[in-house]
Amino acid sequence: MAAIEVRDLVKTYVLSETHRVEALRGLTLSVDKGEFLSVLGPSGSGKSTLMHILGCLDQPTSGEYRLMGRDVARLGNDERARIRNEEIGFVFQSFHLLARASALENVELPMLYGAKRPSREERRQQAAEALEAVRLSDRATHAPSQLSGGQQQRVAIARALANRPRLLLADEPTGNLDTRTGREILDTFARLNSERGLTVIMITHDRQVAQYASRSVELRDGRILTDEAISGNGATPDA
Amino acid sequence: MLRRIPLNREQIQSLVREMPAERRTALETAFQSLRRYPLRTALTLLGLAFGVAALMATIALGRGAQEAIRDQVRAAGLNVIEITAGNYRTRGERPIGGVEAPTRHGAALPPGALERLLRKIEPVALAHPENDPMEKHDHPTAAERLGDSAAGLGAAATLTSDDAEAIASVPGVAHVASGIHESVRVFAGDRRWFTRLHGTDVDLVQIRRSFAMQHGRFFSSGELRRSSQVVVLGSVARDQLFGQNEDPVGRDVTIWNQTFEVVGVVVSTNWMNPGAPGDDEFDAVYTPFTTVHRLLNATNLNSITVTAASSGRVTEVSRSITDLLRERHGIGETQADDFTVTTQASEVLGKGLHPKVAETLAGNIPNLERTTLRQLAATLERSSRTMSALLLAIALVSLIVGAIGISNVMLLSVRERIREIGLRMAVGAQTGDVGSQFLTESVLLGAAGGVLGVVIGAVAAVVVESSFGLAVEVSVVAGLISFVVALLTGVIAGVSPARRAARLDPIVALGSE
Repeated sequence: MAAIEVRDLVKTYVLSETHRVEALRGLTLSVDKGEFLSVLGPSGSGKSTLMHILGCLDQPTSGEYRLMGRDVARLGNDERARIRNEEIGFVFQSFHLLARASALENVELPMLYGAKRPSREERRQQAAEALEAVRLSDRATHAPSQLSGGQQQRVAIARALANRPRLLLADEPTGNLDTRTGREILDTFARLNSERGLTVIMITHDRQVAQYASRSVELRDGRILTDEAISGNGATPDA
Repeated sequence: MLRRIPLNREQIQSLVREMPAERRTALETAFQSLRRYPLRTALTLLGLAFGVAALMATIALGRGAQEAIRDQVRAAGLNVIEITAGNYRTRGERPIGGVEAPTRHGAALPPGALERLLRKIEPVALAHPENDPMEKHDHPTAAERLGDSAAGLGAAATLTSDDAEAIASVPGVAHVASGIHESVRVFAGDRRWFTRLHGTDVDLVQIRRSFAMQHGRFFSSGELRRSSQVVVLGSVARDQLFGQNEDPVGRDVTIWNQTFEVVGVVVSTNWMNPGAPGDDEFDAVYTPFTTVHRLLNATNLNSITVTAASSGRVTEVSRSITDLLRERHGIGETQADDFTVTTQASEVLGKGLHPKVAETLAGNIPNLERTTLRQLAATLERSSRTMSALLLAIALVSLIVGAIGISNVMLLSVRERIREIGLRMAVGAQTGDVGSQFLTESVLLGAAGGVLGVVIGAVAAVVVESSFGLAVEVSVVAGLISFVVALLTGVIAGVSPARRAARLDPIVALGSE
């Protein structure tokens, strides 16, 4: 079954009466559950816009979007917030951690919102589990400034996992990291994908990074240029 | 790294647990945010706290000034009502309250006595020790000074202790003192002095605001109950009997061949009435009225002195007393009173005036009372109102500055934490979640600033009182008002930043580096 079904997706930004930018021009894409997809493309290819729409941060101008079988293309702000909270975990290039909160508190953040709102104890427990999944249990009380870049990004991944979503969206997750640390992060994604069956969509401009996924699509001018499966399933030689 | 402000966590947690989930989140995140920026929080708090403190101090000072005015008016003695036995009202004079009751007056005394009373020229020739031609004294007799009625001469025996007790329960009556007055010779060793004896009640000290105990004390309610032979000397009587400024407490005097122990000396605190030979307050001695009753085998009272709880109620209270006494004495509609109710105002105003003028004045006392009181109060109030207005202006400005401070800090905080807001939205915070977090932060700042301000304000008020001598009254109401104002300031100041935060587009917020 498809985790994501997108048909004829169009996103046009109206900057002024005469100036429009067509970021997506009728994009169609289907992602199965448990797939690890990389979206490749240079800047301006529309990959960030796609990420925003797939992540329910933005609405398409036209076209269809079904997430886990549900039509989410026309949902309002608060309903999209609910979907983001329950179904999607975000990992950003610049981590976006709260500087004055501990790693554990950062991971707890998604649990503060949405319909469930677990108690303080449950939150703590669930956040600890998420930190364990990224192998950072020993850093739970550290502030982000006391952690290395790779550790910070793993805290961010733990945060993305906290509410047990079915989709993980990563926007240039290795962009701020050196190659070795970046590989650790990519390994983490691959492991979560294979061990938990988590659907992972990773946006990158780096062809090598894209090779970690099991499937890669390349965007150009708001349309899909290529769509190919990658042999070896992204597993690294030394993983 | 993470600072924790010590709070009673247990209590707060149990409170928080019972809240709806949305509000709980808002409160928790707001608390966290405030704790994470302790310096910013503290500075914002201080800004508001000073505004609230100024407001609090203003209210306290305003109330203090009001109290002071009330005390001044009370000290002026304008709330004293004197009830004397017998009816000595002149013909045509209106009864207290200005209500004309044609059948009530003029019947009690023959015309000749009235003339004498009003002109105060001829002493009344009655067999009384003070008028004894063999007696040597160099001051005018009580009858000469005060007139027959005030001197208690020839007074009807119409007032009783039961009347006094009944009057005590009239609404608006603060203090009641029974009085039985005699002119007596007081002996102390080889000295003697001819003076006034007032058999009275312990409440008299409360009524005569100018009384101060120079030595010893006033007689006690126990001594009153036991009709003890104790005496309090007026300063003039003391000077004559024991010498200038002597302390006679513990020594004995003889009155009516009975030994009385001196327990105290009263002096005047009023420089306008310092006490002189021949006056009725300090050239006098005071004993329990029960003692006089016992020694003279009497039960009647010459007078009952009453104070109204507030000077504005004097007329109303005198009217109630008149009605009460008429009822108690079984006086019919068409009969005249067998007592006279005099207010201090009527006494003061009528003194030394032509009878016709006094008469007109007396008829207008209720109005005069109101105007003089109003003038007195107005003068005192004007100065305090200027002060209050000034302080209120300062308080308002401080509050506005405090509110702007909160608003400013919250707006800055929204801008500074724009990525945090974007992130919170990305992980599922809805518009309401973000808005209420910032509003809650602002309200918490308001509440904390309010508490701090009330404390600072109360302390400041007390300091002002002790160092500038201004009257101050710190009240719970003032504290509550100040706190609520602070809370409202927090709410108002938080609305705009909260709205701004809630309306952010998560993509824009996340992308702002």
